[in-house]
Amino acid sequence: MAVVAGVDVGSLCTKTVILDGNGKILSYDIMRSGHYYKGAAEESIENALKSAGLKKGDISYTLGTGYGRGAVAEADAEVTEITCHARGAARLFPEVHTVIDIGGQDSKVIGIGDNGRVTNFVMNDKCAAGTGRFLEVMALALSVDIGEMGDLFFASKEKVDVSSMCTVFAESEVISLFARGHKKADIAAGIAHAIARRIMGMVGQVGLREKVVMSGGVAKNAGVVRAIEERIETSLLVPHEPQIVGAFGAAIIASERMSATIG
Amino acid sequence: MSTQYKINKLDTSGVGPLVDRHWRELREAKEKGMKIAWCAGPMFVYAYATPNIASHFMAGYAAYCGGRGMADEVLEAAERYGELRDTCSYHRLHTGMAAMIMNDWPVSNPQVLLPMPDLLIGGRFCTEMSHYMEAIHRRFGVKAVTIEIPSARSREDLPRLEKFLTNQVKETLIPAIEEVSGSKFDEENMRSILRPWKETCIIRNKCWEFFKKKPSPWTLWDYGVSIAPVFYAMGKPESLEYYNNLLKQLEERTEKNIPAVHPDGEKYRLYWDGWLPWSFLGKFIRMMIPYGAIPIAGRYPWEFFPHPEDINTEADDIIHEWIRLIYTSPNTLSYHDGPWGGQEHIEDLIQTYSIDGMLFFSSKTCRMWNLGQQEIIANIEKKYGIPGIVIDGDMIDSTMVSEDQIRTRIEALLETIDARRR
Ligand code: SF4
Repeated sequence: MAVVAGVDVGSLCTKTVILDGNGKILSYDIMRSGHYYKGAAEESIENALKSAGLKKGDISYTLGTGYGRGAVAEADAEVTEITCHARGAARLFPEVHTVIDIGGQDSKVIGIGDNGRVTNFVMNDKCAAGTGRFLEVMALALSVDIGEMGDLFFASKEKVDVSSMCTVFAESEVISLFARGHKKADIAAGIAHAIARRIMGMVGQVGLREKVVMSGGVAKNAGVVRAIEERIETSLLVPHEPQIVGAFGAAIIASERMSATIG
Repeated sequence: MSTQYKINKLDTSGVGPLVDRHWRELREAKEKGMKIAWCAGPMFVYAYATPNIASHFMAGYAAYCGGRGMADEVLEAAERYGELRDTCSYHRLHTGMAAMIMNDWPVSNPQVLLPMPDLLIGGRFCTEMSHYMEAIHRRFGVKAVTIEIPSARSREDLPRLEKFLTNQVKETLIPAIEEVSGSKFDEENMRSILRPWKETCIIRNKCWEFFKKKPSPWTLWDYGVSIAPVFYAMGKPESLEYYNNLLKQLEERTEKNIPAVHPDGEKYRLYWDGWLPWSFLGKFIRMMIPYGAIPIAGRYPWEFFPHPEDINTEADDIIHEWIRLIYTSPNTLSYHDGPWGGQEHIEDLIQTYSIDGMLFFSSKTCRMWNLGQQEIIANIEKKYGIPGIVIDGDMIDSTMVSEDQIRTRIEALLETIDARRR
């Protein structure tokens, strides 16, 4: 029985998923990438192995993905996060045609054909606007825990616009909104709507096709999820653990490659 | 184990000396007291044919500067001068260079400093072009003439538009060239330049045909590098010699089945849309070659360059004949031919050159090609099942090019092609 691993080394977090020979998740791990991606990949694999009660030698094939995919020393191969997210999402939700992934420092929208393969995709340009990092900075400016940001959205009563999508300028905007007496919840909702607007533009470029899956750490923020749903007028399917969709996809591909080798 | 692909570059070493000579001669011309014209767009030829004025091709300068790794330094000078960073980078480059000269700012390679112009000639394809000329005029006091080049919406528009352009050239441009140079525009000289030049272009266009071969004997980058001689040595024997040699190499490669990519030819044939990334040609090709991917056809290098097959170099009105060349090339027309011209032309290229995937280069500072790119990708994907991606970047400004992002996009495109092949 071939056990395989998918390791997604992102700019903020590193994720590992271990699958058994039947494609079942044995364990997974999510940890901060820090500044040493190679070390993060090693540690994350170790953590996942430990949770599954396995050792290094039990893994037959490892596939690296994410911006730091080149840092996975154990990797037998690398595949981009576009393909991995598409595969992961399509396995979790076979009816998916669009994936919105918002990670630490980038966001992407992927179009998926009826056969579960990528048809087209767009990625954000070179800035953290509308990403996990953006939300972190905003949480800091609001002096709230990042985990509270989503709940605050639902407590909002008054519409507040956060117009700047530059992380640094948005931070000053938040501070001045505070100074003008706006409530935390309203500002948090304004931030979620600002992200949603940006994502809506990317969805527009790829072309919206239901069902739409949202993955990445930001999918854990129910406020952003709701704000996107309102903009694109479609409900989003969010996996139980949205952060591991890329690593899961990588593990699925690893598993297929293993069977191809064995077969 | 996957195949290790390597580039098998064509010998384009003849280009370097021709390019260097062009810029050297420009500097020498100024020293000898000749006048200098900086030209953007296709109107340079009228200055080129007039005695006592040497012309410099502005887009060529961007390629020259970018190719020599000097673009960043000159662009930085433009910013120091106060130019906005999101201004078209070709424009900024010239502002930077002029600012360096006028302010005597230090430069690590003085060869990139051109003589200041006495005349600016613009052929306005885009709105930036006239601002570009006007700004240099205002800042450095150089006379500027901009010729409007409206797009043809249908073939019926052509006679009217050709007349409009010809009149502008005769009434505005040529008098300005004559005034600045102190010489008469010489029609016979223009004919004598165009005769060998036409022959050169036809050979060059024959070379293009080799992109149809599978495996391809060369890449679009080899072709891009080979753009220079047709303008830099216009109508000169060395230009003809260069393309004859290029054609010979391509014929030899085809005969002996030598591909542009070792060991056994390309695995992915890619279409490239938009400007070529002059400062980053090496960087981009290194992201493709290891996978056996090469760019082999594109709108810009084909459409934008002359197709003078049916041009009459003996025409009485040789001024009009050049305008006819701008408008009547079938490929140039397809670009201008109404809202779907661009997409139809791309579809044509995709089928003719057996393309597997498309790269749309979206310049952050020039919108010339960018509008509607995602839509074209989606339409073509639907119609032919050929995937495409947009790459954000710039032709010469390294601060707008993020290698990791581009690599991920290219790799994802190749994975998408693979998935369709299975
Ligand atoms: S904006 Fe583009 S088309 Fe216009 S002058 Fe600049 S590079 Fe040329």
